[in-house]
Formats: sequence, structure tokens, C-alpha cells
Amino acid sequence: MSASLIPRISLTWLLVAQALVIIPHLLHVPSWLIPLWLLCAVWRVQIFRQRADFPPAWLKGLLLLGVTAGVLLSHGTLLGLDAGVTLLLCTFVLKLVEMRKARDAQVLITMGLFAVVTSYLFEDSLLSFAYSLLPISALIAALIGMQQSSFNQRPWATWRLAAGLLLQALPLMLLLFVFFPRIGPLWTMPTADKARTGLAESMSPADVAELSRSGELAFRVEFDQAIPPNAQRYWRALTLEDFDGRRWSQAEFTRQARAPLPDWQAQGEPLDYQVLMQPTGQPWLFALDTAAPPDSAGRQAVDFRVQRGRPIEQALLYRMRSWPEAVRQAQLPSLQYRLNLRLPRGFDPRTRAWAAELSQRFGSDQQGLVNEVLKHFNQQPFHYTLRPPLYGQHSVDEFLFDGRRGFCAHYAGAMVVVLRAAGIPARVVAGYQGGEVNEAGNYLLIHQFDAHAWVEYWQPGTGWQSVDPTYQVAPERIEQGIEQALAEEGSFLEGDLLAGAQLRKLAWLNQLRLAWDDLNYSWQRLVLGYQGEQQMQWLASWLGTVDWQQLGLTLVAVIAVLLVLLGVWLVKPWQARPVAQQRYLLAAERLLATQGLVRDSGEGVRRFSQRAQVSLPAQAAAIKAFYREYEQQVFAAESVDEAALKLRYLRLRQALPWWQRWRGKKNAD
Amino acid sequence: MLDTLNRAIASINQVVLGKEQQVRLAVACLLARGHLLIEDLPGMGKTTLSHALARVMGLSFQRIQFTSDLLPGDILGTSVFDKNSGQFVFHPGPIFAELVLADEINRATPKSQSALLEAMEEGQVTIEGQTRPLPEPFFVIATQNPVSSSGTFALPESQLDRFLMRLSLGYPAPAAEKNLLMGITRRELMQSLEPVLNHAQLAALQAEVPKVQAREAVVDYVLRIAEATRSQPQFAYGLSPRGALALLAAAKAWALLAGRAYVIPEDVQAVLPAVAGHRLRQQADAGGHGGAALVQWLLREVPAL
Repeated sequence: MSASLIPRISLTWLLVAQALVIIPHLLHVPSWLIPLWLLCAVWRVQIFRQRADFPPAWLKGLLLLGVTAGVLLSHGTLLGLDAGVTLLLCTFVLKLVEMRKARDAQVLITMGLFAVVTSYLFEDSLLSFAYSLLPISALIAALIGMQQSSFNQRPWATWRLAAGLLLQALPLMLLLFVFFPRIGPLWTMPTADKARTGLAESMSPADVAELSRSGELAFRVEFDQAIPPNAQRYWRALTLEDFDGRRWSQAEFTRQARAPLPDWQAQGEPLDYQVLMQPTGQPWLFALDTAAPPDSAGRQAVDFRVQRGRPIEQALLYRMRSWPEAVRQAQLPSLQYRLNLRLPRGFDPRTRAWAAELSQRFGSDQQGLVNEVLKHFNQQPFHYTLRPPLYGQHSVDEFLFDGRRGFCAHYAGAMVVVLRAAGIPARVVAGYQGGEVNEAGNYLLIHQFDAHAWVEYWQPGTGWQSVDPTYQVAPERIEQGIEQALAEEGSFLEGDLLAGAQLRKLAWLNQLRLAWDDLNYSWQRLVLGYQGEQQMQWLASWLGTVDWQQLGLTLVAVIAVLLVLLGVWLVKPWQARPVAQQRYLLAAERLLATQGLVRDSGEGVRRFSQRAQVSLPAQAAAIKAFYREYEQQVFAAESVDEAALKLRYLRLRQALPWWQRWRGKKNAD
Repeated sequence: MLDTLNRAIASINQVVLGKEQQVRLAVACLLARGHLLIEDLPGMGKTTLSHALARVMGLSFQRIQFTSDLLPGDILGTSVFDKNSGQFVFHPGPIFAELVLADEINRATPKSQSALLEAMEEGQVTIEGQTRPLPEPFFVIATQNPVSSSGTFALPESQLDRFLMRLSLGYPAPAAEKNLLMGITRRELMQSLEPVLNHAQLAALQAEVPKVQAREAVVDYVLRIAEATRSQPQFAYGLSPRGALALLAAAKAWALLAGRAYVIPEDVQAVLPAVAGHRLRQQADAGGHGGAALVQWLLREVPAL
């Protein structure tokens, strides 16, 4: 089989497309894929120039083994998304050197398209979508190039044709995008097991400091009403009720999905908003207090956080309603009461002593005690910094009385310890505070550096109250954001060069950044977010009520009608159909073709029949009978009897049983 | 009647050894009321074939040896003054025979050639203002010598077109030639040939030919062949409508010889080299003898169905 079966243009575009397909994957596949690709590409070109031969079977086997071992070494497994994609790309690359026939090239192109789709699993931004048009159009150009002459020298014309075809496919794409039902688990994608920054189930001050250095986006919020002021935007993620002397973590009781629903009373005006969150790998959602999630979004947990059944692995769009003035748990169940008073033994003696003193001083005036603690933070020389000293075993003691330098996690943690020691149930709430207003799209951007921790304490009758000790120390942190709070220190985003603080200082650059984010937000909200609930709502607004069954049937019907129209257009039944004799002749010749007997174009049926009779003596009688009948009907003016010809044809088919046909075909191949 | 015809062919084959196909084509040509051009070297049996054909078919036979000084009168005949009656009496030329062998037709001047060819086409001759019908049946076998052609006048394409078929006999197969050498002389054999057909039978057979069925499928094939000669670049010029008609007529005669009342593409293919070979010229070599190669191309490439 000659190498020139794959035309030059096709090969050119195939190589270009391979490079384009591989590039976005380079972030998460081992780097040895590049030399592997180069090797295969050069080899392929040499094959095309007839300077090299196709690799022998043993070498192919060796390459495959080597690649499998490489994937195993690089990823530690052959399963999972990363290893799977690496394996796919390796086979995609290796197929290049065993691409002999047009069929192989088609397989390669299909694999390429699949590899493009897998890149969406890692990155689904607008930019990556726009980029993927490049490899897809190159692959289509390669597909077109296969049908072109080997002498064609104009690759750009082929590419333009491919781009035109893609453009023509646009209406179909839109139709499928709007109507194709996204059926639950069938379409959930495997997720990339990459490390994510974000809140975790347990928190030490160092973790929060780490988060504060990340400029990554956490979520975006669009309010139905005016955006509330900064100081009211406390986005609850989870509560931390267990303290081991160093770390705060989510209590086992709270974490349980079976924990009872808390009682609360809505008061005042609700806030309605829509959140588009980046994947966190955690099950909780972000909401203002006190969130009453619609059924579809998630469910309220015992500590008023909003939780989903599964971790959020893809960007998620949900609506939320919050009642900022709600009364939460006027009665606290004893289990929760005890939980929120628990402190580890043997830690922080000075803090406990101070708390005991306060408790004695204020007696039953717990509100006064809380205010006294806040006043302590306000009046003592506390300093808000992301570079606190490292505190020792009695970390709260050292922070409160010696170091006095820290950030939200320190203040919130210390205050909860004091309140608990003084007999007031309290807990740390972790989440985000504030957010950047994007004027372009009138929505909020909440970044990882907005991560925050604050305090909730419980009072009989009034329920849980939120209080933020950080406000007492650095009110600008709450009112203007962390950037202002750290302006003096210069530690804002110091580890993150790309999203660095410098970028934000140039006004026009900042504008550009926000406009770009607005575009991405629209993309995520309108395109990626268009599934499940959103799809249903949108369709319902146009079509009235819809259900999946109806939608699926409509889609199937539309596609069926389109296919029928296409079929009619291809078959053109209004044009004269070949007469019966021609049809049976073609059928008979297909039968004989399985035995390697093909009538030459200039060969008459009688001569062919004689040739066939010699080649297939066992079927000679049937062949002769069929062709005689055909000749009689076509060339002699005798009765045109379709049935008689059909009978002869069936006899011929009987004379050539299917296994014989199949075997003959296999031999012919 | 077909048996009789087959017997006639068998008789000719006894004299002209190893040339069954050419004999058959010659008979088909006669049945289709066409004229035959045989192009071959001297001594290949051209005369023998003509002579045998005439005898077996019961036709009167005349031979005209064409030379450069041959005049039309030598072919058609002249009026001679008869002193007994005191009148000019017409002496018919050799053309007034049922089978005329025009030997080495390309040696005569175009003027003499035309005299013959006009007679062939019209079936009658006009001499001194008087139109005289030629006998019925009337069959001309002309021969041409392809080599030593100096001082010859090759027939132009328009004249060639008047011949239904052109054959070339070719050297006999060794076995046939051995028989030829070991047997008695042809001339003696010729004497022993008995007429197998009479005029009435031959006329009846000739009348049968147009009745042979040529259905649309075969006519389309003939048209495809004609179209290919007219559209493909390697042909200097295409087959004329007369050529297409000749092809179909010859195919019908061939089918009749095969005992079939309808034409199949194989009939067309069997007569195609003889019918079309002298009517086609290669674009690259318009004066040459490329017709045979073109015919092979047609047989191979034009779809039979």
C-alpha cells in the first residue's frame, strides 16, 4: 500500500491539527508527549517522502508498551481523567505512523475531535472554546483534503472550505444547544483531579493567609435589587465548631446530612440573587445569611449553610433568597448548645482566666460581655496583617496578650474561644466577605482573597448573632476590602504575579480586566450554565410548559424530518428509478463481486456470464439462467416479467450462500 | 434457412482456411447489403475469399484489376458501333456482375475510383445519359495493398465511409497453413464448390436483417460509442451518422448469423472493429492507421450497459 494514499494537503492539515490539539493539553499531560509527537510527525513526513517505511509490528507493540508504561509512571494509574486523556493523546500521536489507508486517517481525525472535546473537561472558558475552533477547523480541513487530489498545493483554500462548512453547521449546533436534553448522570463528565484553592472543612490561620494570596475567582453574584453595601456582604460557606487548640474544623454532627433542620423565622425584606460559582470540589454553596434556598439549588443545613448532595465539580449557577434580618434558632437544642461551648483541655490558660473574670464581671449581661471583648480588640494595640508571627502551643493566649498581630482567622478564633470560655455558645463562620463590583455587568466578583472568618454567638430569644472582631481592628477591611486593609503593608497578592496588585492600580487595565470578566461571566452564565434548570426555564418561557419527554420527542421528530428531507434530496425519487432489470442486474453483480467477479465496463452481459460460468462451475446453471432471462427481457422484445427475473436472481443467491459470499469477500480484500 | 447459411459459411471455410471470423464478417456484410474493403498484403487469399463467396452464394463474379491507366469506361462499359445493326450497342462493363472484386482499388486514379464508388452507392450507373440498374444483389469487394504504396491514390475518408466493413485477413495459423500446403490447390477446390444459396434465398435473408430487433438498450450502446468518438480527445473526428447506422445494420446481420432475432451488445462489439476501424483516425496521427487501437479503446471503455 503506497504512502501517497493520504494526499499532501490532508497530511499537512493533520499535522497542524495534531499540534493544535495537543497544545492546550500540555498543562496536564507529561512533557514527554512533545518529543513523542515530534518523533511520530517526522517519521510520518519521511514516510510521505518515501524516505522511511511504516514501523514493523514489533516496533509498534514496543511503542505501545512504552507509552503505557510512561503513563503509568507519570500518573501512577491508567484510569481516571488525566491518565485517560494522556493515553488518548498518545494513541492519537502513535496512530500517525501506522496511518496507511484513508480509513486510518479518518480514525485519526475522529480521535482528534474527541481529544478536543476532552480538553473542555479541563478548561471551559470562552478563550478555550474560541481556541478549539482552530484544531477543529484544521481537522475538518484534513478530512476535506483526503478527498482532494494529491497535486493540490493550496492548503489555505482547503481550510477556508472547512471554516465555511463549520459556519454552515452553526444553525444545527444552535438547535442542538437549545433543545438537546441534558439528561442527568448520562452527561455528567468526569472531573479533573486538580488541586483547588478555596475553603476547606478545617481551617488554621495559615490556610486563610494562603487563600488571601490567591487572586483566583471564587464566585460571581448578580442581585435582583441594588447591591448591598460591602459591610453587609458576608458570604457564608460553612461553620467551624470544633477546636483542637490549633485548628478549627467542621463538627461531625453538623457535617451529617441527616442533622435536623434548624428553626428560624423570616423577617424584613429578602434579597434575591443569582450566584455563579467556580468548581470547588466541596458540597457547600455560598449565600448571604439567612439563606432559604429554592429546592433546586441545595438544602439548608443545621448551621444555616447551604449544601448540595454532591461536590461541585463544574461551574454552577443557582438562584438564592436570603433574609438578612431573620431570627435564627431562638431555641438552641441542647446538643448544639453543648457543642458550641466545647473547648479543648489544657490550652490557653490566660485566655480562660480572662474569660472567667469577664464572666464574673458581667454576670448575666452576656451582650455586655461580647461588647467588652470587641472593645478589647478595638482598644488594645492589635494590628491587622497577613504576616503574623508564628504562635506557639497556647496560640490564643500568645495572640491575645503578646503578639496582637493577625488577621480574620486569628480574631475570629480567639473571640470564639473567649466567648465559649465565658459560657456563651459561639462558633467561627468561614466564607467570603465583600467582593469587587463590576460596573460593566453590575455584578459582584468574589475572589479567593476575599476569604474571611467571623463569629456567631447565641443568645436565648434572639438566636444566633453575627459579629466580626476584625471590624474592630481593621474596619477598612470590611468596608473597602482587603486590598485597602493591606495597602500599607503591601502584602496584597504578593505571591501572585499574574493577578498582581500592580495590574489593579492602572485604571484602564483594571477596566479591561473587568470587561473581560464580564464577557466570561456571560459565557459561563448563558452558555455553560444553560442546562438542567436554566434550560427548562428558558424553554418554558418560549414554549410554555415543557417536559423532557415532550422535548426529546420533539427533538427526535425534528431530526427525523431533517433526515427524511436529506434522504429525499439524496435519493431524488422524482428522477427515474432504474428499471427492475437494472436493479436485479446490479444485485446479481454485487453477489458475483463477492467472488471477485466484476464485469468490466465495456463487457456485455453474455460474455460476462460466460466468464462467470467458467469461474464458478458450481453456480454456472444459476448464472446462465439469470443472465439469459435478463438478456431476453432487455434485448429481445419478449415479455418483461419482473417476477421471473427476480426468481432467477433469488436462485442465484441461493446458489451462493452467505458464508460463501462472506468468505469470498474476505479473500478479495 | 439459417442452416443453409451456415452450410454456405462452412463451404467457404473449406476453401479459405482458418479465417472463420473474417468469412463470417464478410457474409454479414453481404447480408447487410454493404460493401467490403479488404486491406492486406498480396497473396493472403483476398481473391479466393471473394471467389468462394460468389460461388457459394450463387452470384455471378467479375474481377477488375485496378491500374493507374484504368478508365471509368473500363469499369462501367462502353457503347460500340455494331455495323450489322448500324447502331451503337452497349457493352456492359465488369461492374454488371453480382459480386465484383475491385482488386487494388488504390492503384487507379480518383476518377476511376469514383466511378466504382458511385455505382456502389447508387445501385445503378448512368452511361451516356442512360441510367442502367445494377444487378440485385450487388456486392463489391475492394482490396487495398497497404504497402508499396508509391504511385497509388489512397481512398479518402469520404470514400472509405462507403464501405460497410474493412477487413484484414492476416497470415493464416500454422495448422491452417499446413493444410493449405498439403491439400490440393485452391483453384481446383473452387471448381468443386457448389452454390448453397440461390438468389431468392439470399434476398430473403437480406430482408430478414432489418427485422432483427434492436431494443433501446443496444441502440443506446451504439449511441454511446458514437458519442465517445465525437467527444473524446484522442479521436480526430467522430463516427458519422452513416457510420452509426452501418454499425447497427452490421450488428443486426451478425445477430442473424448467430440465429438470434435480437441484437445484444456483443454483436455490436463483434462487428465494431470491422465497421468502425476504417472510419476513425487518431488525433495524434490523422493520416495513419490508428483505427484499430481506437476501436480497442472503445470496446474497453464504453459501458456496454
